[in-house]
Amino acid sequence: MTTNTFVAGDAFLYHFDPRAKLLSLVLFCSWFFLPISLVGLYGVVFSIILLGSFNTGVHHTWRTFRSILPMLLFMVLFIPFNVRSGESLVTFGTFTFITREGALQAARLGGRFIGITYVCTLLFATTPMTEVMLSLRWYRLPYKASLVVTLAFTYIPFIADSFSQISESHKLREAGEETQKKNIFKRLSELLPTLTSALVVALRSIPNLAMSLEQRGFGRTEKRSMYHTLNAYTHPFTHFMLSIMIPVVLWVLCRT
Amino acid sequence: MEKSRSGSMNFPDVSVVSTDCLKVNDLSFTYRSWGAKKNEPILSHLFCTLEEKSKTLLLAPFNTGKSTFARIISGVCPKYLPGSMEGDIQVCGKDLAYTEPWELLLTCGYVSQNPQEQFVATCVEDEVAFPLESLGLPQKEIAHRVDEALMQWGLEALRTSSNQELSGGERKRVLLAVQQAINPTLWVLDESFDDLDIHWRSQLADLIRKEDNTVLVLASRYLTQFDDLFDRYALLEEGRLHFGEKQEILSSFSRLCDDDLPNPLINQSISLKKEHMLSCASLTTERSRVSTLETNIFTLSVPSFSLKSGELRTLVGPNGSGKSTFSRLLCGLDTPKSGVFSLDERVVGTKELNRNVGYLFQNPDLQIFLPTVREELSWSLKRRKDLKNAQIQEMVNSCAALFSLDLDETPTTMSYPQRKALQAAVYYLLDRPFYILDELDNALTYSTALKIIALLRRNGAGILLITHDRTFGSLVSDQGYAITDGVLGGV
Repeated sequence: MTTNTFVAGDAFLYHFDPRAKLLSLVLFCSWFFLPISLVGLYGVVFSIILLGSFNTGVHHTWRTFRSILPMLLFMVLFIPFNVRSGESLVTFGTFTFITREGALQAARLGGRFIGITYVCTLLFATTPMTEVMLSLRWYRLPYKASLVVTLAFTYIPFIADSFSQISESHKLREAGEETQKKNIFKRLSELLPTLTSALVVALRSIPNLAMSLEQRGFGRTEKRSMYHTLNAYTHPFTHFMLSIMIPVVLWVLCRT
Repeated sequence: MEKSRSGSMNFPDVSVVSTDCLKVNDLSFTYRSWGAKKNEPILSHLFCTLEEKSKTLLLAPFNTGKSTFARIISGVCPKYLPGSMEGDIQVCGKDLAYTEPWELLLTCGYVSQNPQEQFVATCVEDEVAFPLESLGLPQKEIAHRVDEALMQWGLEALRTSSNQELSGGERKRVLLAVQQAINPTLWVLDESFDDLDIHWRSQLADLIRKEDNTVLVLASRYLTQFDDLFDRYALLEEGRLHFGEKQEILSSFSRLCDDDLPNPLINQSISLKKEHMLSCASLTTERSRVSTLETNIFTLSVPSFSLKSGELRTLVGPNGSGKSTFSRLLCGLDTPKSGVFSLDERVVGTKELNRNVGYLFQNPDLQIFLPTVREELSWSLKRRKDLKNAQIQEMVNSCAALFSLDLDETPTTMSYPQRKALQAAVYYLLDRPFYILDELDNALTYSTALKIIALLRRNGAGILLITHDRTFGSLVSDQGYAITDGVLGGV
């Protein structure tokens, strides 16, 4: 999931009730596993990408796609080889490389992966983390549990930021020392020190976070008050209805 | 009396009423050792009493236990920084051995030297609101305090901005806004003037002067803003605290930091292999914050800039003015919207800038990543085809001697100035013609920072130093650049 960070905006998803968005997220993630046609699946995925581009901008949508691209390529390239039965599409002598079923399965998994990624990304890109937390609490999740969820997502951008700074540092340190082109294995092996450094930074931040939470009064016996509320969202009923109706209508239209 | 948090002694009467805000009696602390070698006590038989409403400046060179002391009195050490502690500490009558950090929220507020480590929320206003929510204050009261604190620290336009998108100085201002919103009885400010520009330093000094709270400022160098601000002065030396008259403490501190040594940059002899010149003209760049709509797109314009081999130049500007943005362009990490860089009057791209300009980040931990100093220093050298193993070893050994580094030490457990020295040593071995030093002086003594600059410059490198400290800037160079209203110009 590429829950990079909140992307400020003013399009309609930003005014959609976060509780209804959270429900939509759950329904859409389930929707992708329903028996639906491949055309319908990709139609919905394409619509979600369009929706994302309209709300958070083309740049953010492209960045999300780019970040899942290696995983997507891996799926598309290797899944067809694992499905041996069915109509042959690519053969080498008597050996079948790709079957129709394998290709279809890869396409379906790829579509689901892109769809779920974009649905989750859209929620976090258009909803401030405080409102995600308030919504989780509205669904009766205890405060501590919702804090854990939001802190986990807060730390993704922090670790991503540390990773990118460490990569830049390595780039500056190695510049000019090696002129020949690196193959993919060399590149992957060189990722190791960067990942290790990012992991060290992340591990070091754990006691700091615990320390800061306690210094900010986490653990006190008073009942916590809330600075933010979800009262500013108007027409929650309409939003909830839309959140339920859209996946249902799409299922009716796309089912096999 | 020996005592530990996990000890099984009888509970004392914690409701003792005292007119002293802080009372530390015979405090000793030793960090837990993770290796075979035992650690020396960092604080040893330390006594300290702070009267209510007193303003105290505690001076200490780096790595002498200043931050440890601050964390102990704010209740998080040894809970989160394991070690053995002895002695009694009372903060506003509360015995710390039996008090949890959250119980000190209204009693003792701590602003850490590294602002990144204290953030718990995702955006600026939530950061300020979080402790007020912990106190269970009504929503209206929280909103009032948040607005007031953000206005005081010039953060209104950044209220919905993500913490990751703030500059170092802006982060520090957020933490000070949090402190002001809580308004605890005792303020413990660890290097809180660092990262702030002149305007905000003066504002912090005014706040300390005006408020009735007890304030303890911990610093590793004396700043001009400290003049007439404190009524007590203390020096932390060899794990003990010495109180005294201002002049007496300052001269002892100066001696301890080697400030009386001659400036190594004056009349420094430089071995220049080849003279280079890095320049740019009519350069512009833009930057925007994705997490908020309340700030405009930031534009930096550079009509002209040049740096020659062996030159020392400073770059000054308010917090968030674009100093780091310019540094990233200069070393080729980002590309400008318009304009180009030239090296020796030849247009160069980002890859060549990467090769020629070394950028020492503010945070050394983002630039050192291997298990030992030896591996760290040899990492880049091993990638060079023109060097044999024996040559690499020789270069690493002489570099370690030059920067006073122990080759077998683990960087992550080294002190901050040692990590800074290691970061500089890594770049020294890269032998770049130019270096950008981003707030090198933060939390280092002048003497240490000047020594590092002199070492980097000795092979003829041109150096651009980013700093907020005018005194330090004047020790380095009387020529430089300043960013004012998005335009970089000479000063």
